[in-house]
Amino acid sequence: MRGSRLALIAAAAALAVLPQAAQAQRAAGLRPDSTSLEGGIWGSADKAEAAARTKADVNHDPALNAYVRGVTCKVAADHCPDLRVYVLDRPAFNALVAPNGYVEVWSGLMLRSTDEAEFAYVLGHEFSHFAQNHTLVAYNAAKSRANVALAAKVAIAVVGVAAASGATTASEAQSIMDATGNLIDVVYLAEIAAFFRFSREQEAEADLLGQKRAAIAGYDARSAAQSWRSVMAETQASDFKRVRESRSRTSVFESHPLEAERIAALDKQAPSLPASSDRGRERYRAAIRPHLSAWLRDDLRRRDFGQTLHLIDRLAAGGEDLGVLNYYRGEAYRLRRGDGDLGRARDAYLAAAAQPDTPLAAWRELGDIRKRDGDAAGARAAYETYLAKAPQAEDAWLVQDSLTSLDKGS
Amino acid sequence: MKRLIATLVACMLISACTTTHTQVMANPVKPAAGARILVVDPDIQLGLLTASGMTEPKADWTEQARANIAAQLESEMKARAHAYRLLDPDDAMGGRSGQLMRLHGAVSASIQGYGYALPTKKGAFDWTLGEGAQALGAAQSADYALFVRGVGSYASGGRVATAVGMAMLGVSVPLGSQQCFVTLVDLKTGRVVWANFTIAGPNADMRETAGASALVKALLKDAPL
Amino acid sequence: MRNALRAVLPALAVLSLAACATITPAPAGPLKVGSGANVTLGRQWSDISLVMPGRHKKVRVLSIDGPLLNRLYLTDGLAPGDYLIKPLAKERPTPLVRADMSATERMEFVTDSISAMDYQRVTLAKPRPAKLGEASGVRFDVSAQTAEGLEIKGVAAVAETGGKIYVILYLAPAEHYFAATLPEAEAVMASARVG
Repeated sequence: MRGSRLALIAAAAALAVLPQAAQAQRAAGLRPDSTSLEGGIWGSADKAEAAARTKADVNHDPALNAYVRGVTCKVAADHCPDLRVYVLDRPAFNALVAPNGYVEVWSGLMLRSTDEAEFAYVLGHEFSHFAQNHTLVAYNAAKSRANVALAAKVAIAVVGVAAASGATTASEAQSIMDATGNLIDVVYLAEIAAFFRFSREQEAEADLLGQKRAAIAGYDARSAAQSWRSVMAETQASDFKRVRESRSRTSVFESHPLEAERIAALDKQAPSLPASSDRGRERYRAAIRPHLSAWLRDDLRRRDFGQTLHLIDRLAAGGEDLGVLNYYRGEAYRLRRGDGDLGRARDAYLAAAAQPDTPLAAWRELGDIRKRDGDAAGARAAYETYLAKAPQAEDAWLVQDSLTSLDKGS
Repeated sequence: MKRLIATLVACMLISACTTTHTQVMANPVKPAAGARILVVDPDIQLGLLTASGMTEPKADWTEQARANIAAQLESEMKARAHAYRLLDPDDAMGGRSGQLMRLHGAVSASIQGYGYALPTKKGAFDWTLGEGAQALGAAQSADYALFVRGVGSYASGGRVATAVGMAMLGVSVPLGSQQCFVTLVDLKTGRVVWANFTIAGPNADMRETAGASALVKALLKDAPL
Repeated sequence: MRNALRAVLPALAVLSLAACATITPAPAGPLKVGSGANVTLGRQWSDISLVMPGRHKKVRVLSIDGPLLNRLYLTDGLAPGDYLIKPLAKERPTPLVRADMSATERMEFVTDSISAMDYQRVTLAKPRPAKLGEASGVRFDVSAQTAEGLEIKGVAAVAETGGKIYVILYLAPAEHYFAATLPEAEAVMASARVG
């Protein structure tokens, strides 16, 4: 358990860490000497990879994994045999290519990519950090920054643990372990996770190289900028002022808000790249469709309902999957419970109920909201529909209870 | 001035001799001669503690220490007439064995983190993996499992210089340390028979054969093996 | 850097709390949870409430072998706005009690709170009618995994009375620990008096 946590920290560091200047593109199939710093970082990444394989949130769907690997290989070209791809069911917009060729693709990124071209561009961006060996430069930069923090080393190590585990909850009991007897266990790159970020120049370089890689792989180069525009728009849709003001905090570029100039640079480079109009929208949607419902449920756990609603609007723009999408729209409004949200939730459940792909729970929720509103007849109709469609549901007795209490009330 | 520095360094080194802390269940049953001991591949992670306070991972040290510790464990087991087998934990993370491996992680973290703090654990070393341990034993053809984990860092020359400078200002700078935690689990009963936590001193440098030997001897000092 | 400081403060709080031995015995016998709930413990537990991050003052957490191996959450009456687990940052909310929750939402409050404790793949099964004292409510089974993939099982009871919600939640690894303490956890649930 401990080992895997350390490994995860190393992975986060690896993400944060990667490139050198454009001159030093790495060759395929090489492994650094184990006595070098790079060798050490690879060793950490190896451990991170071993730990990642055993995590609870690894997505084991063979079809999805094959699809993601396929797109990764298109942008990675001759490096493909060096890469091992893992899909993780984690709701944040994130992907990383660790220095040892271990690739994490988070479901939050897949849910937010409109099409295969946008997805390929983000993978191309991350892969460029890897190909340009950005890790070492970032590591050394962090090392010089760390001088400032000598006295605060203990505190930083703890931050590192929290940051690296993606822990929004300071990781419950485990953090006690980290904070007490085992501080020295946070050897490795723990501190780094708090400091370690790619530089603005490295990000700019990865932007342009990623776009180029996606274009060479046959994708529409204009989708690169579109990907970042969507991220920025979703950030603006947050329920929280601090998130809106931080612009791109949901992205991997946390420390470097997406500037308009980065989007402008992508727009500027696009016409110079091979022309294509292939965005792969339909095949992309087909690949993620079996997971839409579970991933939206995961996204609701973030409890930034403004962002989830914005995301659902984008997913619904093409008129597909409206049963599932309207159901989760209803869930977001119901959970948020702001002024007028229950009314919006009711309307969304109703819209879902008209679609063939609706989760059956939509009728139960519709019944509950109508009951709250004093619409006994409407509530009864919704509950009865639920029971008719899901007579074997484990909570059928609960819905039956609600029906009975309606009868008593009327 | 030079002498002062030398004294300071000596003080810092003296404070770091090998110490062990053993916990053992009441009336542990010693494995019989020939018992099959599964040694879970020691999870060792070593780094260089730099002047700035960051720890650089060192793959060569890690590999060297892992090999040294594994070799010393093997010779210690053979000296005790036990059958020895090394398990790479990455190969055992699936199925029920994998659950037992993870449960062991939770149990050993609990021993370290809560062994003394919980009123419900006062006066009794009664940690267990439960009946499922038999499944691990059957899958691995073993009677006991020995889990070893070590982490550590070694100060760089620059780090030592910084430490000396800061010591004169009255600030203590950690010079790196190495520690090992080991548990012995009876796979028939699931009971954690014995656990030991060792902080290694500078003469127990696990990167060297002699250091690894001293460390493993200290680790297994009171083991009911 | 301000972000780093914000992140470190709760961690340091945990550090200082854990350092000064705030785990206390909860002996066998009657246990008062705040002013509105009472249970009877069939054996000694350790009260680890004060070392658990995100602790709400109306929530007690008991354990036998430490929070990784078994935990029993007991609450006083949770009023609208209260939590089972408190958020550490405003931008990372955790589920809170609402005034007009349906029975389904009360179960969801518990399972979403378990997710907020960093458990993964939390699912609910077999909801069934149950009572906490005189208050009627629902009991259900929980399954989840730790981030590392250790399978966790649980059982929860949630009931509403007088506009407040009472929760008893037992969680432990599916391997050995859950079954070992389940009878005791169920006896505690059966002994509960709330409101």
